Amino acid sequence: MSDYLSTTERETKEMLEKIGVSTIDELFEDIPADLKVKKLKLPNGKSQQETMEIMSALSKKNKVYDVILRGAGSYDHYIPSMVKNLASRSEFITAYTPYQAEMSQGILQAIFEYQSMICNLTGMEVSNASVYNGANAAAEAMLMCAEKNRKTLITFDNIRPDTLKVLKTYASPRGITVLVLPAKDGVCDLSALKAGLNDNTACVYIEQPNYFGLIEDAQKIGEVAHEAKAKFVMGCNPISLAVLKSPAECGADIAVGDAQPLGLPMSFGGPYVGFMACTSKEMRKIPGRIVGETSDHDGNRAYVLTLQAREQHIRREKAYSNICSNQAYCALIASMYMSAMGADGMAEVAEACVSYAHYLAESLESVGLKIKYSGEFFHEFVTVSEVPADKILKALDKAGILGGLKLSKNEILWCATEKLSKAKIDEAVEAIRRVK
Amino acid sequence: MNLIFEISNKGARCATIRKPDVKSAKINKKYARAEKPELPEVSEVDFARHYTALSRRAFGVDTGFYPLGSCTMKYNPKINEEVAALEGFTQIHPLQPEDSVQGALEVIETLGGYLAEITGMEGVTLQPNAGAHGEYTGLLLIKAYHAARGDTKRTKVIVPDSAHGTNPASAVMAGFEIINVPSDEEKGVDLEALKGVVGEDTAALMLTNPTTLGLFEKNIKEISKIIHNAGGLLYYDGANLNAVMGIVRPGDMGFDVVHLNLHKTFSTPHGGGGPGSGPVGCKKELVQFLPNPAVVKTDKGYKFDCGKKSIGKVASYYGNFGVYVRALAYITALGAEGIKSAAEHAVLNANYLKVNIEDLYPTEKGRHCMHEFVVSMQDLKDKTGVSAMDIAKTMIDRGYHPPTMYFPLIIHEALMFEPTETENKRTLDEVIAALREIYEEAFKDPEYMKAAPHHAQIGRPDEVKAARQPIVRYKKPE
Repeated sequence: MSDYLSTTERETKEMLEKIGVSTIDELFEDIPADLKVKKLKLPNGKSQQETMEIMSALSKKNKVYDVILRGAGSYDHYIPSMVKNLASRSEFITAYTPYQAEMSQGILQAIFEYQSMICNLTGMEVSNASVYNGANAAAEAMLMCAEKNRKTLITFDNIRPDTLKVLKTYASPRGITVLVLPAKDGVCDLSALKAGLNDNTACVYIEQPNYFGLIEDAQKIGEVAHEAKAKFVMGCNPISLAVLKSPAECGADIAVGDAQPLGLPMSFGGPYVGFMACTSKEMRKIPGRIVGETSDHDGNRAYVLTLQAREQHIRREKAYSNICSNQAYCALIASMYMSAMGADGMAEVAEACVSYAHYLAESLESVGLKIKYSGEFFHEFVTVSEVPADKILKALDKAGILGGLKLSKNEILWCATEKLSKAKIDEAVEAIRRVK
Repeated sequence: MNLIFEISNKGARCATIRKPDVKSAKINKKYARAEKPELPEVSEVDFARHYTALSRRAFGVDTGFYPLGSCTMKYNPKINEEVAALEGFTQIHPLQPEDSVQGALEVIETLGGYLAEITGMEGVTLQPNAGAHGEYTGLLLIKAYHAARGDTKRTKVIVPDSAHGTNPASAVMAGFEIINVPSDEEKGVDLEALKGVVGEDTAALMLTNPTTLGLFEKNIKEISKIIHNAGGLLYYDGANLNAVMGIVRPGDMGFDVVHLNLHKTFSTPHGGGGPGSGPVGCKKELVQFLPNPAVVKTDKGYKFDCGKKSIGKVASYYGNFGVYVRALAYITALGAEGIKSAAEHAVLNANYLKVNIEDLYPTEKGRHCMHEFVVSMQDLKDKTGVSAMDIAKTMIDRGYHPPTMYFPLIIHEALMFEPTETENKRTLDEVIAALREIYEEAFKDPEYMKAAPHHAQIGRPDEVKAARQPIVRYKKPE
């Protein structure tokens, strides 16, 4: 058994003596005896070596694919060595939330740098220190926008299914309605949006690129939302922001998204990190931690958790959100990724994604799959095929390739990142060619 | 120290990627951003030095003693980091076919089962990403439970005045109204006051046990009776489970819903503010409402299962999976006995620290504390002007992380110490000596203490200025 205790039996005895009891049990005398548990039904403890063997065996029951053509919200990008290495410093890993600014300047500055990078990437003026993930960021944005007389969120059926599910979970207890409009040719339908907007609309939420990988005319959607005095919330893929118009350029009031593509492994869905940024007008409504710059009594630059009057530990039931722990360490990794790549490196990643995605699309067309939507896409797209999706995906699986995500019997959502190569794509397409 | 933006050197490169070997495709200009985003440009050595410097200005459990009450800053075993980084856990897509992620599903199902056993619950979801997120999820379960019975009048959640701020905030997000109940003389729930507020509109009582004062709620059976007789449910805030795991189970105490904090009780690191993980367990009648998808064990292996009555999803995919791997490694190493002895030693360490300082740092008298205790420095402040804050800042000068300050709100000049089980006697003895010296110092040189820390990274920051003239991002000088 490993227990990570560091007190010897002799010391335990000395401590009990000092406390004035003869056994540890006596310390628990306030607990009614009939409630105490005899022994938990758990396996016996294991040595460190056995623990490693057990966990390692579990990890080997998962299949690691050589080639991944699946995205749908979780993306297989190259993670720079220096990010992995520097992020593994245990001072970052084992610190708590930086409540004591005088001994936490490193964590606070890292969050401040993260906030600054998110602001620059999105063009917005204020970023928080992170929330749980992209779906929760969208839900928190919805709660920010809801007002007494404006309690509807309008979105389209081309956003990520998980985001929609989380929005719905968060909406109903607060009396918010989520109105899902049908997309047209895969993208948001402006005339449907105009018809759906009214005095009760709190906000319009879209994703850029959307779930099908298509690039939305976000600026136009923002204008339409604002004409009805609704807020405009954009959920963005941060890699795409290296090249696409920023949410600020599109007129967004709040920009959100999942920063997983920035240096975080897919890890079966988490931990990821939700980013949230807004205009300065919305600053006092944004949930979660925010780090601000100030000075100490000698005039030295200093960073602190600030605008805490918004938060649950001060406002309790009047707080805008209950969020406390967020995903600070993941945000640190995302900021390291942005520093390691720089704007040019991120643009190169984005362009590699776009190039491979288009090569993949053309290659799939050459073996009889059809691209479903006519609009411009970023690094994901949907195909329709006569051959059932299952057959295609099975053939790829056999070749050690994780194919796209099956959307329906004959539809697949594909994704390409910079980790692909011509040879890998050709190999995948060859495997599909043989399916009949 | 400089911000990374301030050491940015135009044209410098750090990480580089392979050039695509296919025809270049570019985004239509119509959609392209006008200017590239302002991100740092640094060389690899500058990158390494910058982040090393930041890490040296961070204080973690590996750096030193961290008695941050209510946060359970126990040691984070290194093996857990290594197993969580195994390729078979990191390099798997959340939407892979079920048969290709049997190991990951086994992690989820096994950990859920262990947590159910530890808490005395029938079903567990791991989906919530943090403690507050767990509270929110648990309250949605309670809401769904009452609604399914057609009991729609239950709109109120009762919260003690010693509760964490997240409790009332989560309940409001879940659509409830809050009723606060005061504490009695022994700092437990005031039973008479509780009887006065329960009724047909009571959805639940949220309770932390041991309470935020580090004391076991002795009247728990009576409280459970009062709430259940009124038709309400009992919610367990698991922030303090570390004191009692393996000794008493929330389920046996009468709790119907519980959330845990894997980043406290189960040793997963806190990362400077997350990722955490806030699993939620519940009794049989509530299992059907747990978030989708659940993982179930069948004859044909592990499968996802979506219930029709589920409250839906509370997070993307299945929550903070990487955190589960660490927690499972921890419970595997400890086993039934180790879990219990962790709690025992957490309580032993807290009591040892308490008895050695309580003549100077007064706390609740005549009772053993659980894993933490709260002292009130009001008397010292009256005599010397030195506050709980000043003591905390003086501890920083001595290389210790301060305890939690000014919480719970019902104690004046509060300091909440939670040493955790992983500290040894030598460290505790050093801390005891330091705290006793600090107390003497308050009489000798109060002014010096009021200006502490003197040897830290910075002096006390101007928080008022930070909030009044917020600078929340770097801007390039004009």
